[in-house]
Amino acid sequence: MLLKLQNRKVGNMLRNFWLALTGAYCSVVSYHALADNEQKVQWHGFVAQGAIDADGSNFVNDDESASLALTELGINASYQLTNDIRLAGQATYLNGGNRYPDGFSLDYFLVDWSVFSNEKWQTNLYIGRIKNYHWLYSATRDVPMTRPSIILPQSVYFDATRNLSIGGDGAALTAKYFSDSYGDFDFNISSSESDISSEQSRILLGPKSQGKLKHNKDLQTSIYWQPDMSSWRFGLALTDADFSYLSGDFSGFLDGTIGLKRYYFNGEYHGEKWTFSYELLQETMEINGLLSKNFTRKPTGQGGFAQVEYLYNSDVKILARAEHYYADRKDKTGTKLNQISGGTIPQHFGYQHEFVVGTTVDLATNLQLQLEHHWIKGTARLTPVVIPNSEVNDDEYWQLAAIQFVYWF
Amino acid sequence: MFCMSMPALGSQLIAHKEVAEQELTVAQLKRIYSMRQTRWGDNTPIVLFVLPSQHQDHKTFAHQTLKILPYKLERIWNKSTFSGLGVAPIVVNSPEEMLKAVAKTPGALGYMQEISRNEQVNVIKITK
Repeated sequence: MLLKLQNRKVGNMLRNFWLALTGAYCSVVSYHALADNEQKVQWHGFVAQGAIDADGSNFVNDDESASLALTELGINASYQLTNDIRLAGQATYLNGGNRYPDGFSLDYFLVDWSVFSNEKWQTNLYIGRIKNYHWLYSATRDVPMTRPSIILPQSVYFDATRNLSIGGDGAALTAKYFSDSYGDFDFNISSSESDISSEQSRILLGPKSQGKLKHNKDLQTSIYWQPDMSSWRFGLALTDADFSYLSGDFSGFLDGTIGLKRYYFNGEYHGEKWTFSYELLQETMEINGLLSKNFTRKPTGQGGFAQVEYLYNSDVKILARAEHYYADRKDKTGTKLNQISGGTIPQHFGYQHEFVVGTTVDLATNLQLQLEHHWIKGTARLTPVVIPNSEVNDDEYWQLAAIQFVYWF
Repeated sequence: MFCMSMPALGSQLIAHKEVAEQELTVAQLKRIYSMRQTRWGDNTPIVLFVLPSQHQDHKTFAHQTLKILPYKLERIWNKSTFSGLGVAPIVVNSPEEMLKAVAKTPGALGYMQEISRNEQVNVIKITK
């Protein structure tokens, strides 16, 4: 019976998505036909399906079995309304198992106003549902062919907090500046609020979360610099967000607030055959309330990754990446965490270190195969975050393997 | 291996007749094709046309003129297109289609391996 209900639910979901895609396709194609001569409309999309197996953790599912919960679909359109105004939107369907809530969403839907441009400056204002344009991969973290790997480094791109950092409803101002002497600069600032689903709350807080987590305030800013004639590009970013939790009647948590401040420093080197990139993060998560009226905790986590991509030939790229993350920089072994939890939370929830190898093969134009394997020590980047699941995630060492086919147009 | 398969010919830039620019520096071209400059001097949007990534003329243009590998260009375009930040270049299938598309689209910019004096498009000089 349960299986039948699940099948019906999946069937409805697929049918709804097909209708949504068909509707989007038809409307886009009709616009396309109307404006074909002026090339004002463009539409693109991607379809990705893979298989993933996390052995020794609940990263994908609780029974640790191999899973097909690695689906990413999207369709977007862009329409140049006037010389200065453009409309753009993208709808997605995602299924990542335990990593984040599955389903359809409006990824972005915005008005792009070209505020000012000359031979040195290009300034745009984006209003509507915007993305996070501040980290190396944040703007397209769900778009497989733009990522270096299937699973982004969790030290920085923690899936559990993705909805808190993926973007939201608000505005972004971007300015690109070119200096003959110093090179290219990017200045970005944005503010937006995202709607946090009850499933996202449970992923973050734990299964006893029956209340409403609300995104109250958000300010994000970044600056990038590529020195003149250099293959290096450096970036600095700051994000500051506040959340409040209103407990429901049956919630296992009390009212409370969460403040999340993150600082990033990143760099990329683009050689002919080699690409080297790194991104370092320091984040402070201040929790007040939730567990008891006067509960307060303010750990500062630190982490980051360094990776190399090697172009073996024009169709094959090879990736190697190392990353580290400490949930509390003053407790890198997790000893204090274990003590304050009365021994219920193992020390390995205090850190997560990872080594990844992978490859990307271009099978044909716009058709790609990605493969990767992760060796991981520690569970600090597993969910839930506030009350960790130490029963399922009792292994300090675990592994992850994934394969994914991607087609885009 | 990639370089050895390249013919020695250089690419030439073509633009719509109404585009006022008569020359572009290599640095400007890089900014245009990496989507950092999306407007002409008179503030009209630049409409980019490219050949498919696997096309030999595209590889030649990317490698010899822009000095950016085709897959890196594609990554830049995809990031912009799939985040809502910008508009991807329009892919045409052949040099003949490129010439026709650039000739009929205001603000268009494209490239060809060989083009003699042409009344349909503006041939732009590439300077250092």
